[in-house]
Amino acid sequence: MPTPYLVIDGLTKVYERGQVHALRGLSFSIEKGEFLVVIGLSGSGKSTLLRCINRLIEPTEGKIWLDGTDVARLSAKRMRRVRRRIGMIFQQFNLVDRATTVRNVLTGRLGYMPGWRSLLGLFSSQDKRTALANLERVGLRDKAYARVDELSGGQRQRVGIARALMQKPEILLADEPVSALDPATSHSIMQYLEQMNRQDGVTVIASLHFLSLARRYGTRIIALKDGQLVFDGPPKTIDNAKFKEIYGEDAEEVEVR
Amino acid sequence: MSPTPGGAGAPRDRLKVLCRRAFSFLLDWMAWGYVAYCAMYLLNYYWYTVHVDWWGTLTLPSWGWPVVILVTLELAVWCRSLGRSLGQRAIGVALRPVAGERIRLGQRVLRGFLWHLSVLLAPVWIARGEEPLHDRLARVGLRTETPDPERPGRRAILTQWGFFALFLGALTMCVGWLIIGINLQVLIRRAPQAGRIWGEMLRPDFRYFTAPDPVFHLRALSYSILDLTVVTVFMALVATVLGGVMAFPLSFLGARNVMGFSPAGWATYGVIRGFFNVFRSIETIIWASIFAIWVGYGTVLAGILALTIHTIAALGKLYSEQVEGVSPGPLEAVWAAGGSRIQVVRHAVIPQVLPSFWAFTLYRWDINVRMATVIALVGGGGIGDMLFYYKNQGDWSKVGAVVMVIVAVVWAMDYISGRLRERIA
Ligand SMILES: Nc1ncnc2c1ncn2[C@@H]1O[C@H](COP(=O)(O)OP(=O)(O)OP(=O)(O)O)[C@@H](O)[C@H]1O
Ligand SMILES: [Mg+2]
Repeated sequence: MPTPYLVIDGLTKVYERGQVHALRGLSFSIEKGEFLVVIGLSGSGKSTLLRCINRLIEPTEGKIWLDGTDVARLSAKRMRRVRRRIGMIFQQFNLVDRATTVRNVLTGRLGYMPGWRSLLGLFSSQDKRTALANLERVGLRDKAYARVDELSGGQRQRVGIARALMQKPEILLADEPVSALDPATSHSIMQYLEQMNRQDGVTVIASLHFLSLARRYGTRIIALKDGQLVFDGPPKTIDNAKFKEIYGEDAEEVEVR
Repeated sequence: MSPTPGGAGAPRDRLKVLCRRAFSFLLDWMAWGYVAYCAMYLLNYYWYTVHVDWWGTLTLPSWGWPVVILVTLELAVWCRSLGRSLGQRAIGVALRPVAGERIRLGQRVLRGFLWHLSVLLAPVWIARGEEPLHDRLARVGLRTETPDPERPGRRAILTQWGFFALFLGALTMCVGWLIIGINLQVLIRRAPQAGRIWGEMLRPDFRYFTAPDPVFHLRALSYSILDLTVVTVFMALVATVLGGVMAFPLSFLGARNVMGFSPAGWATYGVIRGFFNVFRSIETIIWASIFAIWVGYGTVLAGILALTIHTIAALGKLYSEQVEGVSPGPLEAVWAAGGSRIQVVRHAVIPQVLPSFWAFTLYRWDINVRMATVIALVGGGGIGDMLFYYKNQGDWSKVGAVVMVIVAVVWAMDYISGRLRERIA
């Protein structure tokens, strides 16, 4: 029996500061090619979960099997090689504002570059071509040499996507990719993620705040509450009762159209 | 910030509580120590200056200092127990009863006496998250002071604390005035002499602006004002470039957000920051006098070394603070893409800090030009050699000429660096 692509086993994270138990023995697994949406209230541990997978945050306990290797045990050096295969996009985009768009996109390539070349900023012409092609793909070819602080929020997130594409990732972590964007722009960004998932076969793990977006784009939804799994299943099976369980009694569902 | 009874809280938090309590106690002790020192100074002044014809002398006997230390310690302890503590106030805690609304005076006095018994072991109790003996037996505890929203505090100046602050301020002014002992009358009395010098300086002697002055030599060579001005500006330039180039890599080693991930990283950070702080607090003029002895009095090299050392430390500190202030997002993105620490610095930190690095460097160049004009006073070389030579000769017209050239150069550098900084920002 083939093991699943990503297996999270008993993942626990306790933040030293304030003794916050952000994740409490979380376990689930993902097959290759899934579009997994993580939902949950603010503070339920979504960001912590995503950041543990590529070890931007050190897990306190538990195993993270990615394609048969336990990521949680890797040395810093080996971890860097694994991180190249894991793309990530962020709620606040995490771009260098005063650099050009194409410079920002090229930084997605750093994991593959030898030290001295990256120190001098000597990206190969192959990389530069790929960067422009990826910008073309997200519809920003004409903004390639504009400074990022001249771009709108939606455009910035597309730069973030182009940067992640530079890694040719097998798996993409998206931490609230559309929380800073308006509904229409949110859909356009989610469609790029959907396209990566369908066309390039990238496994996507995205945390989202709106259930409507989660239903529309996810092939599967997990819900966290106080660092524990309270729901795991296909989008259709979240009914009103489940919703109240995840978000609390007083919650109202808001549509994003 | 109060130790919760029953040993709750992480060990680090408990240690923090201990440190804060110790700090607050020292603050009280020092405050009383300061008052005692001021009082002794005033007494001394009275004894020797006002009543000079009194008999005897006023010296503190050898047992005096321990007594002063113990008395101030007692004052601090009783202030803290009786609820009039500056130190408790400073860290935002106050004594609260374990049960009931108010602390009775008896409890406060009891705490004061018991303190003497339990002081030595108190740190152990606090570090273990327990109340120290004197708090436990008096049934009180230090608790975080929460301001009462119902009763907003009275205007600070009207409170006892306001009066205490006013008292300390007035005391400081009195003692300060006596320590400095200013005599403003001389300003008037000696005005005629000064007027002559000002008059001569305002009739500057520019004969030796480009031609070497035969009376002034350095190591058997004569120089013009222009010669030494150029030397001075280049001293500043070389020192700024060298200092900036060396401060640049060091500043990343002295930044918490780049280094603080491993014990070795923390150690490096500490060493580098310590180096910056120590070397920066030794002024350029002191460095110049050290290097003047080391590499030769009145040499340009001594001046350049002094300026460079101070520039490294000063720019290094400013640079690292900039590095620590970058937005963490881009750093996270490069880590997430599999970047190494060097790649994070090169592609996420440097692009964010480069403009402010340039601004600081230009500003530093400005400072260095001004510094370079005076370090000759202690053997650092440059235009100051000429200035102080003429001053010692009493040749005030030539002093006037040199001063005017210095003013022009400093003003020009200030203007240029200001304009460049504007362009960058
Ligand atoms: N660096 C940190 N130090 C201490 N506690 C933290 C830290 N980061 C997060 N936490 C705590 O961990 C818990 C989970 O946080 P996390 O950011 O994972 O939640 P989230 O589900 O992503 O919330 P949001 O929707 O607001 O982004 C929260 O209680 C938070 O306060
Ligand atoms: Mg989050």
